[in-house]
Amino acid sequence: MTDEIIDLTNCDREPIHIPSLIQPHGVLLVLQDPNLEIVQVSSNTQEVVGRQPEELLGKRLLDLLDAKQMKLIQKCLAEDFDSVNPLNLSIKHQNKLIDFDGIVHRFNTTIILELEPKKAKGQTGFFDFYQQVRGTITRIQKAPTLLEMCQIVVTEVRRITGFERVMVYRFDTDGAGSVIAEDTNQETPYLDLHYPPSDIPKQARQLYTLNWLRLIPDANYQPVTLIPANNPLTNQPLDLSLSVLRSVSPLHLEYLQNMGVTASMSISLIQDQKLWGLIACHDSSPKYVPYNIRTMCEFIGQVMSVELANKEATEDIDYKRQLKSLQTQFVEGLSQAEYFLDGMVQLKSQLLNLVNATGAVICSGDQCIRVGKTPSEAEVHALLDWIKPQLHHNLFETRSLSKNYPAAESYKAIASGVLALEISKVHHNYILWFRPEVIQTVKWGGNPNKPVEVFSDGSLRMSPRKSFQLWQETVQGSALPWKPCEVEAVTELRSLVVGVVLRQADKLASMNFELQRSNEELDSFAYVASHDLKEPLRGIHNYANFLMEDYADVLDNDGIGKLQTLVRLTQRMEDLINSLLHFSRLGRAELIRQPVNLNELVQQVITTLTIARPQSEVEFRIPQPLESVECDRAQINELFTNLISNAIKYNDKPDKWVEIGFIKGNGQRKVASTSLIFYVRDNGIGISQEHLDKIFQIFRRLHGRDEFGGGTGVGLTIARKIVERHGGRIWVESTPTQGSTFYFTLSAEANT
Amino acid sequence: MNRISASPMQETPLLLIVEDSNEDFEALQRFLGRSTIAIAIQRCVSGEQALAFLYRTGNYVERHAPRPGLIVLDLNLPGTDGREVLRRIKQDDNLKMIPVVVFTTSNNPKDIEVCYQYGVNSYIVKPINFVQLKRDIQMLVEYWFEVTTLPYPQD
Repeated sequence: MTDEIIDLTNCDREPIHIPSLIQPHGVLLVLQDPNLEIVQVSSNTQEVVGRQPEELLGKRLLDLLDAKQMKLIQKCLAEDFDSVNPLNLSIKHQNKLIDFDGIVHRFNTTIILELEPKKAKGQTGFFDFYQQVRGTITRIQKAPTLLEMCQIVVTEVRRITGFERVMVYRFDTDGAGSVIAEDTNQETPYLDLHYPPSDIPKQARQLYTLNWLRLIPDANYQPVTLIPANNPLTNQPLDLSLSVLRSVSPLHLEYLQNMGVTASMSISLIQDQKLWGLIACHDSSPKYVPYNIRTMCEFIGQVMSVELANKEATEDIDYKRQLKSLQTQFVEGLSQAEYFLDGMVQLKSQLLNLVNATGAVICSGDQCIRVGKTPSEAEVHALLDWIKPQLHHNLFETRSLSKNYPAAESYKAIASGVLALEISKVHHNYILWFRPEVIQTVKWGGNPNKPVEVFSDGSLRMSPRKSFQLWQETVQGSALPWKPCEVEAVTELRSLVVGVVLRQADKLASMNFELQRSNEELDSFAYVASHDLKEPLRGIHNYANFLMEDYADVLDNDGIGKLQTLVRLTQRMEDLINSLLHFSRLGRAELIRQPVNLNELVQQVITTLTIARPQSEVEFRIPQPLESVECDRAQINELFTNLISNAIKYNDKPDKWVEIGFIKGNGQRKVASTSLIFYVRDNGIGISQEHLDKIFQIFRRLHGRDEFGGGTGVGLTIARKIVERHGGRIWVESTPTQGSTFYFTLSAEANT
Repeated sequence: MNRISASPMQETPLLLIVEDSNEDFEALQRFLGRSTIAIAIQRCVSGEQALAFLYRTGNYVERHAPRPGLIVLDLNLPGTDGREVLRRIKQDDNLKMIPVVVFTTSNNPKDIEVCYQYGVNSYIVKPINFVQLKRDIQMLVEYWFEVTTLPYPQD
């Protein structure tokens, strides 16, 4: 046997709306406009109206009914037939008048008239109807809870119809049904029994929503064929979706027989255009329910359907009130919070209470905060990745996670139920709630796993259930279901949190804007400051020189010496201003990364430095050629210039050397060329341990101004800035009097 | 064949110096004065004054101010600053032929770019160094008044 042969959907595919058969407790006539000519009839006309089908086919309806009744039907067709059915019709047969309930409807282009013989004498008018149902309706409306309403309905329907057993089935989200109310005189209660979704196939559910009521007076009936078999107007099987006599699926009849039910009636309960449940009536013997009683039951079903929403709204009213007050706390807590996470963290316990969860996780960006009992952070991340594509209207909910997500098996004890809320995909804001596994015993009306029949030809067929014996199942890996009011509370929470997240994003944006503006201001400030400082400086410089030029003869050497000092100081001051400006520019200028051949670059730097200081004899050592690296050429040039010139400068040895090289980061793995540690080593004066961390500070100098060629003390600060802007790190190792080695990397990966 | 000089004997054209700093102007004057060429100098201390002089408005209506042969322009001026003066000059069909040399403290790349985009003829950053300043001014005078042929003043 292969898997595909076991087809659990054969019930789902049966075209039950076009069986071309009806039940025998009435006749069906198909009529054609405009003269209401009879074009198709059920084959039982002789038994019900005393005419052979052949006598009727091709005739006008007028031949069967009198002109007054014809008018009634015409009028009915012109109006909304729901409000006029049933029509009181009578047909003369052998001088006897037979009374019928006439039910007429138009489906697409086809007019269908169904006639059910009236069993009871007399007519029921609107007033009787009203009297009969008024009390019931009042009681339904006054019922304090949903379950009490259902109990009233089953009692009332059983009183009106006289069925042995009347139940309310309720369907859950999976389509499985359970009996939530029952009134019966039978020994075995069906209350609380569950039925699998396959008990009522899809297309039957569809018909249940089209038709409020179905009656099977005798499940052992012989179906009646139609003559001709196809609707002659369409040449297709007649669509009996709205027919009251429509023959039901043999599978359904078999099901009823297995259950010991002979007569059955069901009334649809519909909420939001969806089948919410059924009022199901069963009897072990045949039972015909007249049309007017059925109408009454249908009316009760409709009123109950309307009341469902009201009753559900008042259900858990105290709990809902509690949720509302929690929401208010959230509003207060979050509206004061600067950031989404901060606000949420302060509301930990409320967060759990909001949906009666035992654990929750708040995710924002890469951060995750876990509250109560939750899976591990890694498990939460994996779970969230799995949930994301399944979010529907920002929500995901399940009560049995491990069923669809096997990875959750290991933590089902704490997270069988999951409710996930997406607040912002962009900012990666999510909240997850968890509920533990609750092991439950479910009572099924028979084994819910349908038996598969194997036929002699090897084909398989799902047969309707044979056993309705109580069948208990222990359900594992499931949590208590999330209540609609809890899900609603979460949905409302979302709009609240979205507000906070948006405000946060807005704030960040405006902070960025401010930062950018202040950066720009700082930038122009640096220029203005350097300009405005330089102007008087230049004045001092020039006037000192003017003095020396113009008053050389009246000034003595001491005076000239002081003016020269003045001039030298102004030059120093200019150097400092320029360095400061350069440093402030360095942080802002855009980095232009491109492949740079460092070997060539270092050679150029050395050449330039050598030209600038032809007097100093330095040996340059490059043990192995440097590689090409993605970096900003101008800045790296400056970096090497600073380091190499320092290496030359701070050296009092007779034989000076500077070594420039690199070390492969970590050595082991194959790494990109940026994962290199570069170094500039010298045999210079070295730096004492206590000063090692100070030398990168701006304007921090270790030597006298004029020692070792002087300098502004900004070179290494600039070097560090360049390295950091490239994502790298710079550090120094040194032994006083032996020499120093400056190491640096040009990317973050080389740091690890 | 005698070479006919492009500029026949004539007076040295006027040099307009737009400079708000008295000290900087004094330094300029000092070094210009040492030049072998006698240069007539007109000084303006603000952008407004410079534009009034060039357009012969305000104080200069009656005086029939001569057209300068060269303008030395500081960028950071009170009020209408040098950038704006430069833009106005280079957008004016009559004035745009006068060479403009920006002589400023600013070495902001943005300033340099803007000035050249406006059509400045030369951009010099004022040095602090006395010797360098002296040299720069000497070269400025030599280049523009000796090497270059300036346009005829047009009225």
